[in-house]
Amino acid sequence: MTTFSRRDILRQSAFGFGSLAFSAIANESGAIPRLRARAKRVIFLCMSGGPAQLDTFDYKPQTGKKPHPGSVYEFSQHGESGLHISELMPETAKHADKLCLLNGMHADTGIHAQSFLQLHTGDRLRERPSLGSWINYGLGSENENLPGFISLNTSKPSVYSSSFLPSIHNGTPIGVNGENMNTASINNIQSGHLPLAVKRRQLDFTQFMNHNHRSARPHDSKLESVIESMELGFKMQMTAPGLLDLSTESKATLERYRVGMQSGPVGTCKSTDFGRQCLLARRFAEAGVRFIEVNHGSWDQHKNHRRDLEANCAATDAPIGALLEDLDQRGLLEDTLVVWGGEFGRPGLTPGNGKDETGHNAKGFTFWLAGGGVKGGYVHGATDGTGARAVDGQVHFRDLHATILHLMGLPANDLKFQHAGREHRLTGPEGGKVAHEIFA
Amino acid sequence: MSLRPYTSILFAAAIAHGLTLLPVVAAEITPEQRDFFEKKIRPALVENCYKCHAADSKKIGGKLLLDSPEALLKGGESGPPVIAGNPGESLLIESLSHQSDLAMPPKKPLPEPVIADFVKWIAMGAPDPREPGTLLSDDYAKRDYEEGSLWALEPPRAPKVPATDQAGWPREPIDHFTLAKMKSKGLSPALDASPEVLLRRLHFDLTGLPPTPADLDLFLASYLLDPDKATSTVVDDLLASPHFGEHWGRHWLDVARYAESNGNDGLSRNPTFPHAWRYRDYVIESFNNDTPYDRFLTEQIAGDLLPHSTPQERDRNLIATGFLALGAKPAKAMNDNFAMDVVADQIEVIGNGLLGISIACARCHDHKFDPVSAKDYYAMAGFFTSSNTMWGLAGNEGLTAPPTDLHVLESAPKSFPPLDFVETVVLLQSNTGKPKPIPAPPWPKGTPLAMGIKEGKAPADCRLNIKGESKKLGAPIPRGFPEAIPGPSDLSIPADKSGRAELAQWITHPDNPLTARVIANRIWQHLFGQGIVATPNDFGVYGERPTHPELLDFLAIDLVKNHWSMKALIRKIVLSRTYQLSAKPRAEAEAADTENQWLSYHSRRRLAAEPLRDSILKVSGQLDPRPGEGSLIRHRDILVNLGGNLHEPSNHRSIYLCYLRGSMPSEIAAFDLPGFLKSEGKRTVSTIPGQALFLYNHDLVIEQSTILAERLLEEESATDERRVENLYREVLLRAPDPGERYRALEFVQLSSDDLRSNESAWAALAQALFMTNEFRYID
Repeated sequence: MTTFSRRDILRQSAFGFGSLAFSAIANESGAIPRLRARAKRVIFLCMSGGPAQLDTFDYKPQTGKKPHPGSVYEFSQHGESGLHISELMPETAKHADKLCLLNGMHADTGIHAQSFLQLHTGDRLRERPSLGSWINYGLGSENENLPGFISLNTSKPSVYSSSFLPSIHNGTPIGVNGENMNTASINNIQSGHLPLAVKRRQLDFTQFMNHNHRSARPHDSKLESVIESMELGFKMQMTAPGLLDLSTESKATLERYRVGMQSGPVGTCKSTDFGRQCLLARRFAEAGVRFIEVNHGSWDQHKNHRRDLEANCAATDAPIGALLEDLDQRGLLEDTLVVWGGEFGRPGLTPGNGKDETGHNAKGFTFWLAGGGVKGGYVHGATDGTGARAVDGQVHFRDLHATILHLMGLPANDLKFQHAGREHRLTGPEGGKVAHEIFA
Repeated sequence: MSLRPYTSILFAAAIAHGLTLLPVVAAEITPEQRDFFEKKIRPALVENCYKCHAADSKKIGGKLLLDSPEALLKGGESGPPVIAGNPGESLLIESLSHQSDLAMPPKKPLPEPVIADFVKWIAMGAPDPREPGTLLSDDYAKRDYEEGSLWALEPPRAPKVPATDQAGWPREPIDHFTLAKMKSKGLSPALDASPEVLLRRLHFDLTGLPPTPADLDLFLASYLLDPDKATSTVVDDLLASPHFGEHWGRHWLDVARYAESNGNDGLSRNPTFPHAWRYRDYVIESFNNDTPYDRFLTEQIAGDLLPHSTPQERDRNLIATGFLALGAKPAKAMNDNFAMDVVADQIEVIGNGLLGISIACARCHDHKFDPVSAKDYYAMAGFFTSSNTMWGLAGNEGLTAPPTDLHVLESAPKSFPPLDFVETVVLLQSNTGKPKPIPAPPWPKGTPLAMGIKEGKAPADCRLNIKGESKKLGAPIPRGFPEAIPGPSDLSIPADKSGRAELAQWITHPDNPLTARVIANRIWQHLFGQGIVATPNDFGVYGERPTHPELLDFLAIDLVKNHWSMKALIRKIVLSRTYQLSAKPRAEAEAADTENQWLSYHSRRRLAAEPLRDSILKVSGQLDPRPGEGSLIRHRDILVNLGGNLHEPSNHRSIYLCYLRGSMPSEIAAFDLPGFLKSEGKRTVSTIPGQALFLYNHDLVIEQSTILAERLLEEESATDERRVENLYREVLLRAPDPGERYRALEFVQLSSDDLRSNESAWAALAQALFMTNEFRYID
């Protein structure tokens, strides 16, 4: 199969590109086979730090006489499917029949930074293109006035980088490094010093200069990326401010998302912040952004496990419930894949032994998916009796990536890019296994 | 626990008898000792310990074997369990009696009489009659490394300068190395850069500022007469300019993870470091003075221990140690590991920043990839646990970091807040959220202060923290240096000193294979866009290999030979033919070397955040070339997160802006600034629409464009054609071509009508030129 490098595409193009040229990855030429797409976009609820799966979605009751690690919160069954969901997630539980639990997740390492990078890019150690960048590269934009990849309340650039893929697929961050998400916006999105028509004429002049500059430097494709990104930035000025302005939402909606509501003193991210992110995610999804990452953290509760876990669940549960409800009501859920999870999970507490401290567990943990062509009210995979390791239906990050790409209509192991002398793909040299069992 | 008095008595007895600390070897064991061991000790070991600590155990705990005399001596991850003759210091006793977090056997302590037997046995010198057994290999040292992966630990070898058949081409030995490599890859060098391109490249690379049109005219005239002389004259002028230190100092501040606030402590508090700027000024001055690199590092690690002949020198040495105090700290509250978190930052910045090896990973366990063990880590940790790190009041928020002393300077002028200064940021009580008064600082008003480090009261070896937990203590690890890194063997660390002086000696010793290579590579990277080693902070197993290993060794050896003069090395590199190549590749390189690994042409680079802002200000005529004085926050010990936007407009160079972690000045924030949480060797170069938005809408760009337009219009008699010419010359250092002139005039005319302002139209045109790639990239 032929794949096209950025340079090949450049060579074929006489002068500049439309916004789709980089992204369309020569779909017209058929280089990348496309599958039936079950989903058009992804909302990734990224729970950084490693959420405790045994007290949220992977129910591990005590089995014998001797206490063993397991769930220490109450679980009950929800919906027609009867999924077991913890008492800490009452609002999410209302949508049990939409959830597809992946209880057999596993990863390579319990080191936060490495596993977090691998969750996003498939690689633990080096900067590689992020999942959202690969999807945009494979599919192109649904709305050329907005970035195809937006990362809300993000941490470091390496997790939303397009790396060697064309820069146009780089994630656009909104709210970085603990910036107050209640007010976080796209910086410099507007100014009043010139009317739009003059701004456009001004950019035309700059791009005229840029094209001349570029044509004398034909080997340098990064200059083309800048030209592209100038256009995108320009269009964002017209569309993004409206999307970021939540004043058009009803009071009831804002309340459902907990926007503007006070929450407890524990934890670094509050309901109101996370709620705003979820609501923005819905609005970006409606506007056609392909990949929206909503970050929340930290779930890295070592000591004070119960206190911090409760705070994290309290901050995220209602906004997630509201998001699922809205997507469903607006008919968006059927082609929007919602993904929930973090870089790994945690070992369970043992009831009654007085300890309130957990560590990291990369050998078995939980993700859940919803919408976007997956079965609802469904459990795929399982951990052993104490939740220590995945024993059935194992899904590695590369398998998760393969599954998400497949749902988007991209053949995971054939979505490749030539860089530095070899072919790269999100699923790495090993390739990923698609979890066909979970498809609706 | 009732055991303490007993062990103490025995401990005292052991000392009193002057018992040797070496274990009693088999030959010297008396029959009574043998009998005692066989009756009391061996059965207890077999019954309670061998399950996890014998060579045939299914799974060996903590890499510790207890089934032979050698294994006992060597110990496991937590260090040796037994210090012969000294039960009070022996980890085994603490562990068996469950006195420490390392409680063994895990279920319950051994009965007291059994522990008493162990105490007695250790007090008698731990006589061990067992047969020699197997030892666990130090897997980090014996690991199967891929061939060549430990290249950086080999001493640099003076390489033979390769011969060439293209005798007229090379100018410097550097060129022989690059040319040989090009030839071996089937490439040949591109043409030389034009003088216009070369001058701009030199100005940006050496000072971070563009040349003026007059600089260019002067250079072109002298270049016509003698290109080599013209170039070397410009290079010498630029190296002597005070802007050199401002530009290269900025590179170093990235490595030093310099910032003026702590950054989010994990609980959304971000205290200011009001005195950090003194370190910034020290770095700029050091680069301008061409302080030898070995001296520069020594001052930063152990400046407080250096002799001095003037108060100025004393102050400078103390300020330099700010390097070790600037790190981002996680909150102290509920964090038993806080003190060791501070140490981890210090080890990390020395490891990655100075040595190009991540030692910090070995805090919790032996390094998974590089030959660095947890023992190496704690051997280094002892330097810093034996010192007092001084960050100051930390925003008067003890929950983030307890307040510390600071260096009080002698020669620096007193520094008072302006008379009308009122602190607008209030402190909140952490439990109630109510305001509380800001306490008066403990120093007399106006005292000049600096962050830094000084000797601790009681220097001591650091005990190994098992799995990185400060409450789970292993054996004390003698202060020292990572075993796998070669260095001088005659450095001993005085028991009553922290050992930082020796650490500085070890790092800057010519036998250290890493230090010179790492800085030579950084310098190369700043001049070529990519290092010879593409991962400047990681020369380890997982780092990239050098593309030109012989050249790197040549540069490293040359640097040391020239008394570690960084200016001399920079001069040598920029005067090489390789550096002065055009950015236009030959056809074969365009096809075969898109990443420009083999340096057959010059790599085009984007202006980084600071030079972009500085260039805009310089072109508009607004740059204040004088050093910025102090810092916006020099009188403010507050929490930045409560302060909103503390930044104020400034026309000084960007290095003098206020670098607050997590709250960077918006004038530079859009262009890939690092987080300054860790040593940063290479900034990301991303292309995102946010950067375009900065150019369209940020006040800096809009205001400077307006000012530039006003200047253009000052000359009332000038024609519009003439104005376009002037504008191109100011911004792009060249005349417009006819097409450009036509489009520019058309733009001004149409926009004047739309805006009903000629001046605004010219401002919009000036902004359009600031937005171009031609302005923002260096060929």
